[in-house]
Amino acid sequence: MSDPSRGNTPVLLKMRSITKRFPGVVALQGVSLSLQEGEVLALMGENGAGKSTLMKILGGVQPPDEGEISIDGKPVVLGGVKQSKAHGIALIHQELMLAPNLDITSNIFLGNEGAKGGLLGPLNRPKMNARAAELIARVGLRMPVTTPVSRLTAGQMQMVEIAKALSTRARIIIMDEPTSSLASAESEQLFKIIRQLKADGIGIVYISHRMQEVMDLSDRITVLRDGRYVGDLQRAEATHDKVVAMMVGRELSNQYFPEKREHISTEPMLEVEGLVVPGAPDRASFTARKGEILGFAGLIGAGRTELMEAIFGVTPALSGKMKLGGKDYAPHVPRDAIDAGVYLAPEDRKRHGLVLPMSVAQNTSLPNVSSYSPLGWLNRKTEQVVAEEGVKRLRTKTPSIKQAVVNLSGGNQQKVVLAKWLAMSPKVLILDEPTRGIDVGAKAEIYRHMADLAAQGITILMVSSDMEETIGMSDRVVVMHERSVKGVLERHELTQLAIAGLMTGKPVATGEGNVTPS
Amino acid sequence: MLLALVLMCIALWTSNSDFLGASNVVNTTRQISMLGIFAIGIAFVIITGGIDLSIGSVVGLTGVIIARFSSSQAGGLGYPLWIGISVALLAAVGVGVLQGLLITRLKLQPFIVTLGGMLLLRGVSQTIVDGGVISMGDSPLLDLANGGLLHLGRDPLLSWPLLIFAAVAAVGAYVLHYTVLGRYIYAIGGNRDAARYSGINVDRVELLTYVISAGTAGIAGVCYAAYIGQMSQQVGVAYELYAIAAAVLGGCSLRGGEGTIFGIVIGASIMRIIDNGINMFQVQYADADGIQRIWRLNQNWTNIIVGAVILVAVILDQVVHMVQAARRLKEAGNPRSGAAAPKPLSHPPPVPSGSIPPPGGTKAIDPARPAP
Repeated sequence: MSDPSRGNTPVLLKMRSITKRFPGVVALQGVSLSLQEGEVLALMGENGAGKSTLMKILGGVQPPDEGEISIDGKPVVLGGVKQSKAHGIALIHQELMLAPNLDITSNIFLGNEGAKGGLLGPLNRPKMNARAAELIARVGLRMPVTTPVSRLTAGQMQMVEIAKALSTRARIIIMDEPTSSLASAESEQLFKIIRQLKADGIGIVYISHRMQEVMDLSDRITVLRDGRYVGDLQRAEATHDKVVAMMVGRELSNQYFPEKREHISTEPMLEVEGLVVPGAPDRASFTARKGEILGFAGLIGAGRTELMEAIFGVTPALSGKMKLGGKDYAPHVPRDAIDAGVYLAPEDRKRHGLVLPMSVAQNTSLPNVSSYSPLGWLNRKTEQVVAEEGVKRLRTKTPSIKQAVVNLSGGNQQKVVLAKWLAMSPKVLILDEPTRGIDVGAKAEIYRHMADLAAQGITILMVSSDMEETIGMSDRVVVMHERSVKGVLERHELTQLAIAGLMTGKPVATGEGNVTPS
Repeated sequence: MLLALVLMCIALWTSNSDFLGASNVVNTTRQISMLGIFAIGIAFVIITGGIDLSIGSVVGLTGVIIARFSSSQAGGLGYPLWIGISVALLAAVGVGVLQGLLITRLKLQPFIVTLGGMLLLRGVSQTIVDGGVISMGDSPLLDLANGGLLHLGRDPLLSWPLLIFAAVAAVGAYVLHYTVLGRYIYAIGGNRDAARYSGINVDRVELLTYVISAGTAGIAGVCYAAYIGQMSQQVGVAYELYAIAAAVLGGCSLRGGEGTIFGIVIGASIMRIIDNGINMFQVQYADADGIQRIWRLNQNWTNIIVGAVILVAVILDQVVHMVQAARRLKEAGNPRSGAAAPKPLSHPPPVPSGSIPPPGGTKAIDPARPAP
């Protein structure tokens, strides 16, 4: 760890011992961070390491529970977004916060119109336009300031966001994954502007998962892990491997994962070849074997959910081929997938998996009720029997099958989603983040069920952002990065370093994985 | 709501015993029935979370088509009645199919599509009657409204509209509560995405609900044509709003997923009995001179009272919902209350001895914690 106050550049921002708790979880524990004038500080960490929480504290969105923040050496309290702005901090969110229906000028000054007389004060459009033109020129955007934002590219919107930050005379600009939606030429433009801002003495906190960018751009890297400060690396001493090791660096506790089976059939169940998922730059190919748990690792936004939705027919693939049990398989709607025996337990189970106000029984029967309801007459008796079986089999904790699922805990809700599919005969079960938001006990149970199902010959595709889970449960792991399949790791290759390396876009070393990106 | 309805009836009956007189009962049940028929139809749409503003115009269109085709009076073509009714019902169903296709295929908003339908069909009706009135004369159709079974003197106890309403309600209740289609309708209203992810053909079900809505409006339109007998472009104006109000009073939520046929029947009854009650309600009192006088509600207050009843009903409903939600939240906050509330992972799983303890414990995944 280096001392950021060395040299004669003044320290712009210091956060010391920041702690933030959410009900039942400590998101940040004694995290410190400092930023000098004209410095680009990269903030790195895995999904859930606490980066966003830290930045929200800085942006005044959430107050810290403990710790102090000082700007220019003076302690400050960031009690709200307004105060944070007044202290010269600007936060540029990953999903841009622009109103697409308004023009560039209106967006730049939104909430900061400078009109006298409150809400009814007259807008001085000519003055605002002139000032906006100045600001966008500074970020290299050449177009009329009256252009509606909806007509801009993602890169241009990013520039407007930066111009907006500059309009409040921000001295500290936080960028959260700024390049995640940019084309590479646009990214280059962004980097140019970042260097220029740096020359103007503005301090930048740069959050990104893209190692190459971080290496090119940053002066210093601060690494967080599990809500704690791990350390700082100066640009000169940082390497891809070093950073990944700091991000991951923990031993696994294998205790609650069921033992993996020794022999898994080599018979292919789902063959995916050259699948083009909307929005993905490359074709995806992989094969899932019968009775195998195939993990899908990657950072958030790596395109795993989109790939699964293509396999389930929610957003059909644009081209490419799939075979299920040797037969051609091309689902256009979820019904096609369900009829073929491919089921999805979605990532966002409240949004996509369950009808919350309906009962356990009604949710369990939803995809299948028509099969035992002759002529469309609802067979409640069979429905109840099936639901009772599901509850018993998965040991769902619910007062009765008539209980609305909205009243169940996350783990039990997930069990209802599983019961819904297990009441039918799955060939391939896609589990997208199967244990997100679920407590430890229920997690272990779900893992056991997964192992049982695999042992019965059901193929499981498991998308997980939890490294432990990925390694603990998967027989093999497909690693995705920026919407492309980067490689497939065999069981003996499953280490955190190997996965995290591929996940963050490290070039595939020869011999590592049996599939190379196209 | 049932309780409110019963109380309302008792109050009206005590204030004016004519309320339960034969002619008033027959007339009021006929009114309830005609509204109820298409209120049940629109309930199908509302339960999926949609809306249909066109049904008042469909009621009107059905009536003028029948008059145009089957009236033997001026402006009518004089075809047999069954031709007029068939064309009218086909037109109603056709409207439902077209609007449903626009909503499901082109993903247009139901509000706008059916608002357009409402205005357009009103204009079509106006064109058909050429801005005037076509009388049904003494067509046998009029018996549909005035006739019935079990005559009590001049009035039938069970008017045909009441019997049609009963049939529509029975079929509606069967479809909504005892069939797979009904289950899908609730599921779509409860969570459209989850329904789609469960393999339900959401578009087809939604299309069907718009057809049901327009179809029942067509059936109601036939009844109104029989009841009114003089068809003009004015028939059915704003009826959709009465139907929506009846559905909401009957427990439907415009967010979708809630409501029952029984509720709609109650809702439609309340709407019509309020109307009737404003005529019937009276208080007898002696004035300062000891002369018996009768106080009645001012007819001008009709809309105020109807509007106020709707508002009070939804306010009460919302308050109940909020209280329930607050109670649920409180229970969720209390770990001893068992099944409620996802419990986030608060303790890292034990680390095998001998390995280096992780500096930060195991990564906790928690929905409350925003992912970076």
